[in-house]
Amino acid sequence: MEEHVVATTDELSQGERKLVEIEGREIAVFYVNGEHRAYTNWCAHQSGPVCEGKLTGTSNAEFDRDSLTVDLDWCKEGEVLNCPWHGWEYDVTDGSCLSKDKVRLPSHSVKVEGDEIIITL
Amino acid sequence: MSETAKHATSETTVIDADVHITVEEETVAKYMDEPYRSSITESPHPIFPSSSWDQRMGGKIDDHFSTFTSAGDLLTFQKEFDIEYPIINMFEPLGKFSQPDLAVNLMQAYNNLLFDQFLDDHDFLGLASIATQKPDKAAEELDRVGDEDQIVGVYVGTSGEYPPLGDPEYDIIFQAAEDNGLPIVYHGNGDEFMFDFPIHNRGFNNYFEVQTLGHPWQQMATMSSLIGEGVPEKFPELDFVFLESGIGWVPYMMHRMNKIYHMRRSEVPLLEKSPEEYLRDSFYFGSQPLGEPNDPAHMKQIIGMIGADNLMFATDYPHWDFDHVEELDKYLRNYFTEEEREKVLYETPAEAFNLSL
Ligand code: FES
Repeated sequence: MEEHVVATTDELSQGERKLVEIEGREIAVFYVNGEHRAYTNWCAHQSGPVCEGKLTGTSNAEFDRDSLTVDLDWCKEGEVLNCPWHGWEYDVTDGSCLSKDKVRLPSHSVKVEGDEIIITL
Repeated sequence: MSETAKHATSETTVIDADVHITVEEETVAKYMDEPYRSSITESPHPIFPSSSWDQRMGGKIDDHFSTFTSAGDLLTFQKEFDIEYPIINMFEPLGKFSQPDLAVNLMQAYNNLLFDQFLDDHDFLGLASIATQKPDKAAEELDRVGDEDQIVGVYVGTSGEYPPLGDPEYDIIFQAAEDNGLPIVYHGNGDEFMFDFPIHNRGFNNYFEVQTLGHPWQQMATMSSLIGEGVPEKFPELDFVFLESGIGWVPYMMHRMNKIYHMRRSEVPLLEKSPEEYLRDSFYFGSQPLGEPNDPAHMKQIIGMIGADNLMFATDYPHWDFDHVEELDKYLRNYFTEEEREKVLYETPAEAFNLSL
């Protein structure tokens, strides 16, 4: 296990990311909702560069069986990472895939010391 | 019908998910109200649209169809094919009728005829026909006939309905079917495909091409619409049965919809799991017309992919491309366990149609 300083806190404001290479691995650190998260730039679908995708919201829907109406909701604004290759969605706050149980982005522990963002690999 | 040799299923209880009753136009007209009855009996122009394709190639294939009209014919069929429980439907795809009110009246007439000529005096099982042109009327009809014990499903003869059959416009039908504990049974067909599917279908020069595509295209469109609109998520207790398209298209659709779902989840946000899981949970497939790979091991793989929990046997008798029980059973006997075989021939359809036999 080794610690790597990948950025300083003033480099990343809300919704931003920095892509770095550590020991030959591409890793991105995101700053979302006051937290830093780090993931390998590797999509579980076909190994696409997921960490280079857009951060957006997504749709959620609820069906009311009595009135037969669907309530469509735009939610998680800024928290959904969309793989730029084919659009698989991941929740950037925990790395989970929105369409597949048990699939997660490979994540890495991140801490902040002073103004340094440190990833342990 | 020719005599059939004794076969392995004479020892097994068999449910046949797809048996058609042929109803003459004049016969169903007797069950209709005016002015619709006279539209059938008095119009100089045929009200029942005909595609004009010659399915039986000038008589090279025997016509079992036009003579399969009565309860007595059904009893003979049961005996000769060793089928204990044929599930009958009135075949006519009501979606092809241009006049919505006439289609609604025909729907009621077919159901009344079904009771009067088949169910009231025999212990047959039947599917209630619906016309989808007026979804509220179809829902009313399901409430009218749906709690009769011998009605075990809802029959939708598909012919390119607009909008496609998973559209929220039909939710009232799904609601009524679910409330009545009935699966919805989709049945495509060769002929009607030419009325409502894209105009290039007019360009085919032989029925081989039409028959090859007609059924699976209609079923694929219906399945895609049901999943894309989240119908199985909206009505989790409702089951769906697909008849007369064989089964090879099912793994293809399952895998293709999985793929597209993961790429476009936010477009179908009602879905909580993969299309394959919905199919495995609440979709059932009649085996006929079983494809005929040159290498039988390939059919083993397809049957294995769908699995005994979702596959059920169907003859499609008396249509010209019906399957004998043996067509499926030879694979079941050679490649699958006795337990799986019994599921396909009996337990899975019993589950799909909520039968306690
Ligand atoms: S590689 Fe990421 S969506 Fe296909």
